[in-house]
Amino acid sequence: MGNKLCCSQGPTMRATNRRAQLGWFWTAVWVLTVVRGAAAGDAPQWMHALTGVTLPSYSEKTEAVLLYSETNVTVLSADKIKIQSREAYKILRPEGRGRGTVKLYFNQTRKIKDLHGWCIPAQGKDYEVKDKDAMDVTAPIQGGYLVLDAKYRVLNIPAPDVGNIVGYEYEIEEQPFWLQDDWRFQETDPVRESHFTLQLPQGWVYKASWLAHDEIKPEQAGGNVLRWTVTDVKGISHEPDMPPVSGLAGQMIVSFFPAGGTSSKNEFVDWKGLGDWYGDLIRGQMDASEAIKQEVNGLTAGKAGQLQKIQAIAGFVQHDIRYVAIELGIGGWQPHAAPEVLAHKYGDCKDKATLLRTMLREIGVDSYQVLINTQRGAIARDTPAHNAFNHAILAIKLPDEVKDKSLIAVMKDPKLGRILFFDPTNDVTPFGQIGGYLQANYGLLVAPDGGDLVELPQQPSAMNSIQRTGKLTLDASGKLTGDVEEFRVGDRARSERSRLRATTASVDRIKPIENLLAGSLSNFQIVKASVVNFDLTDQPFGFQYSFQSENYARPAGNLLLVRPRVLGTKALAILETKDPRKYPFEFEGPYRDTDSFYITLPVGYEVDELPPPTDVEYSFGTYHSRTEASGQVLHYTRSMEIKELSVPVSQMDDLKKFYRIIASDERNTAILKSVGTGK
Amino acid sequence: MFRSVKWVIVGLAVGMLTALDAGAAIGFQPVSPEELKMTREPQAPGAAAIILYRQVDRDDNGHTSHEDNYRRIKILTEEGRKYANVEIAFVKKSQDVVSIRARTIRPDGSIADYGGQVFEKELVKARGVKILAKTFTLPDVQVGSILEYSYTMDLGEHLLFESHWILSDELFTKKAQFSLKPYRGSSAVPLSLHWSWQDLPPGPEPKEGPDHIIRMEANDIPAFQIEDYMPPPNELKSRVDFIYDAISGKDENAYWKQVGLQWNGYLENFVGKKKEMEQAVAQIVAPNDSPEVKLRKIYDRVQQIRNTTYEVHKTEQEEKRDKEKPAENVEEVWKRGYGDRTQLNWLFLGLVRAAGFEAYGCWVSDRKDYFFKPVTMQRSKLDVNVVLVKADGKDLYLAPGVAFTPFGLLTWSETAVTGLRLDKDGGTWIRTTLPHASESRIERVAKMRLSETGDLEGKLTITYVGLQAMYHRMEERHADDLARKKSLEKRATDQIAVAAEAELTNRPDWTSSETPLVAEFSLKIPNWSSNAGKHVVIPAAIFTAGEKELFEHANRVHPVYFDYPYEKADDVTVELPTGWQVSSMPKALDQNGKVITYDLSFEQGPGMVRQMRKLTYDVLLVDQKYYGALRDFFQAVRTGDGQQIVLQPGTDHAGN
Repeated sequence: MGNKLCCSQGPTMRATNRRAQLGWFWTAVWVLTVVRGAAAGDAPQWMHALTGVTLPSYSEKTEAVLLYSETNVTVLSADKIKIQSREAYKILRPEGRGRGTVKLYFNQTRKIKDLHGWCIPAQGKDYEVKDKDAMDVTAPIQGGYLVLDAKYRVLNIPAPDVGNIVGYEYEIEEQPFWLQDDWRFQETDPVRESHFTLQLPQGWVYKASWLAHDEIKPEQAGGNVLRWTVTDVKGISHEPDMPPVSGLAGQMIVSFFPAGGTSSKNEFVDWKGLGDWYGDLIRGQMDASEAIKQEVNGLTAGKAGQLQKIQAIAGFVQHDIRYVAIELGIGGWQPHAAPEVLAHKYGDCKDKATLLRTMLREIGVDSYQVLINTQRGAIARDTPAHNAFNHAILAIKLPDEVKDKSLIAVMKDPKLGRILFFDPTNDVTPFGQIGGYLQANYGLLVAPDGGDLVELPQQPSAMNSIQRTGKLTLDASGKLTGDVEEFRVGDRARSERSRLRATTASVDRIKPIENLLAGSLSNFQIVKASVVNFDLTDQPFGFQYSFQSENYARPAGNLLLVRPRVLGTKALAILETKDPRKYPFEFEGPYRDTDSFYITLPVGYEVDELPPPTDVEYSFGTYHSRTEASGQVLHYTRSMEIKELSVPVSQMDDLKKFYRIIASDERNTAILKSVGTGK
Repeated sequence: MFRSVKWVIVGLAVGMLTALDAGAAIGFQPVSPEELKMTREPQAPGAAAIILYRQVDRDDNGHTSHEDNYRRIKILTEEGRKYANVEIAFVKKSQDVVSIRARTIRPDGSIADYGGQVFEKELVKARGVKILAKTFTLPDVQVGSILEYSYTMDLGEHLLFESHWILSDELFTKKAQFSLKPYRGSSAVPLSLHWSWQDLPPGPEPKEGPDHIIRMEANDIPAFQIEDYMPPPNELKSRVDFIYDAISGKDENAYWKQVGLQWNGYLENFVGKKKEMEQAVAQIVAPNDSPEVKLRKIYDRVQQIRNTTYEVHKTEQEEKRDKEKPAENVEEVWKRGYGDRTQLNWLFLGLVRAAGFEAYGCWVSDRKDYFFKPVTMQRSKLDVNVVLVKADGKDLYLAPGVAFTPFGLLTWSETAVTGLRLDKDGGTWIRTTLPHASESRIERVAKMRLSETGDLEGKLTITYVGLQAMYHRMEERHADDLARKKSLEKRATDQIAVAAEAELTNRPDWTSSETPLVAEFSLKIPNWSSNAGKHVVIPAAIFTAGEKELFEHANRVHPVYFDYPYEKADDVTVELPTGWQVSSMPKALDQNGKVITYDLSFEQGPGMVRQMRKLTYDVLLVDQKYYGALRDFFQAVRTGDGQQIVLQPGTDHAGN
């Protein structure tokens, strides 16, 4: 149960999900745990019953199949749940050996009571490993995550070799923060058979909702016991830039509660209920202390209008409150009290949002926490209400008199009026805008009368843009020299600012420009370079540089071949795969980039032939380029716009064609001829 | 087996401490107005933060051993605020972190004492092992703040840890002071301390005072940077290493002689099964075989023996069930029919000696993590074994215990390294050979056909030779055919700078050491040609992606390090569409960078063009002062690769 609001991905995953981040860390853990020993024992009967099952024909790429999965959730009371689970995989390929590593998430309120693992080898006696053979691990400091109570118990089952069956059982006791569970029965491996049983106390009721799967009615297994079963579920294979698996995988969300509800109100069947719960959780954390009042007074002193005051406070929380996550127990969801955050001048996303809300209230501006998942697609409009959020931002109710054009991320809520979304954790996105990861994404707006799932606005593509202009000169030897300036806004500015911020030496600041030139030029020397508006995050970020490139134009007899598209690569090769695409292609955000290169031609040469113009228009994006000659100047212009954030599989051929045309345009050549010899 | 014996001789529990920060009885130091006002450090322009002062004082008394650590950090940019998060890892029972003190000095000089909680995190807990970390973060950290913290790392009683003063930090260090009060030993456990250093900043070297405490002060230590193609970081960091050893004395030659004698004793005890080895050799070679044939036969036979080093890691339970115990000598290895890489190399030594060759066991230093220098007197760094065979007047270094190693070669990290050849007199220093670039090659031969619509299709054969083949076989040894196919296809298309599809069409030999690894593909590169008015152009070379963005940055701090010499040789024939003519061919290029060379040439025939490209890396280390020349060389390579062949299509060509 539960991600956390710390801008990280949540721990709710199948116990054998392969090691995600921290590759080195998990590798080290694995190396340490493989030497653990244990007494051998026979695998249980339920596993042996699987040895003879007939499997359907799977793709040759299938690494393993989940033969059997059974999860029994027994609700003992509103604050105690027992989860018993057993799963068994058959290893089909050497790459499936990872299924022999069980990784169970636990923390202060989620205790692992028992863990056993077995292997039934194709030949020989069974292996058995137990709790004592496992290793508990916590990730070291990562970025701003100082202390999280999330731990993993890692158990390596012997001999997870091809043809063998590995399985495990565990029991967990949990004090739930809310009365809901999810059954994620689809994963990367195909599933042969999976069961989920819910045992409720007498008088309790439930509501089951389904995601990416047709509804299945449960069997009544006596008393208040319900059992759901799925069979032959396809695996989800990874593709680059696909939607998050959590939004694609079949799953059931089940809420349960006493018929009359609970006194703690930690049950919910809709978004409003989840909003109520979260509203109660944060209510006591937003009392302004004297220090907060003084800080607000100091920040807003001399500011005439409400917008200027809001901006001053938002800027303070955005920049001066350092991102540090300390999340223990309910602290994964409940922010620290605003006065505490201010006193330490650090906090995580929900701490920042809470402090900002508290400070804004001091100037009479209302605002509301918005819970969101930073992977667009994890929560969609029709997703059943459940807590799959990993980030908190703020929706600021704009005063009527505030109508500034710089406020883009605004939507009109039927009840709250105009609200501006703002992410105080993102310290390089200007006030008034939001990053691509939030745009057209769904968040839970925690309003006074409960929560509501809202779609955040998608900003115009021009708000996320690179505008590059080059004024260049070509000489008769083919050498190209000149000046380029490029201005970036939106995420395209954010990424460069973040990249430059991470540099630790002045000399490294030129590296992004070197990378850009190296992607397009076979050789280059940067003559000078500078960065514009690095710290002024409300202004376009810019690079200005001068370079020279020998042999840019290539002689061919009395001709000179010139590529008009001097810099920048828009073509994308990842769709050029042998296998057809299975899932939509996701862009991080809309964008609109333009290039304009003026190339003054060498004396004694004139344009002989020019590449044809390129004009491609699809619903998801457009691309236009022109190469024109005017006197001794060759002028190349192009624009590329991405308008839709998700391209469905039905349009994948169009998308592939789109990028092929771009690749072709990027390589097109203009031909110059020597005047006097070529005529 | 044999290696573990060498560690035990220390006779006292000696552990390796790998805490994130290694010990506080050191009080906070006064802060000067200059430090408060500082906004930049001229010697570290652009730095996010710098260490103003660092102090490490270690007392190895054996009873209440401890290390006091102190740091004062100036925050110069927003990014630098991350240094307010501190994590100190330690191993429970043998270590503890105590007396943590911390504070933030604001830019105005006011002080925010740390009043928050120190969290104790359990990083790893398993049977008998618990690795914990003390974690905290400092409050009110702003650009311009100075952070200070200190702590003491208590070290377990009767435990002795090696000391490493790693001066190079990710931050520039203005001033640092170190001291070590060494363990003085006892008659029961006589231990000697050796210490060595490398790349220290200008200033006094570590020196032992009359009080027997070793001290050093260092100033202006540059921040350590990570770069592509750099030598092992251990080799580049400014550092002082202290090693306790049961062998006393500070004379390098005497030290190594004693080590050599000990190791030779272990070796001869393990290998000295002459009669049994002679019987084994009789099963491998024929009496009339030439010496070279004999040697190769023995080498091949040893490589056929099951090598446990390269098997999938087993759990203790699996190992127990397999009932495989460490072999006591080469006879056991031979009879059981399996061994690890070390044992198989020694078996090879026993066999070749039994076959009449003059041969020696050698311990050499793998250069993956450091470059060994005898002066450091660290025997643990001679960590892999090879066999020296005198044959036909030549010294051959062989290690059949390393899977997939072709006869005559060593795995790359054991080439050109220093080692100790063992003998009854204590041994001699040797240096293993470095194979020539031509012995490790990637050869790509492509027969392609250009379509009128600009697609390039045909057959590609890639032959991996020598260490190139060994690398692939080693990497894919646990993979199945499908994964190996995918890997080879990816490696083929990764070398092409545009989108391409490759389909493996043969079954490469993944098991041999001696034969090249040959992979055949059908290859398709969509839109290979591009338009140039009435002309069509195609690139001068196909397999150029490896050099496309190599050494693109003008600035370089460290030397450039290549793992081993090798060659890439491409021979590509492109058949043109009927009626098409070549309008212009690029210039041939012969770029001789002495240790790296590049040849590009072309041939033109009826309806076809042929592109030949060869790149030879015959170098391991390029000093930083030659980086500019190296970068220029690769710019010239890319310029050559970026040339175009201009084609004149037939009259009915409509373009792509």
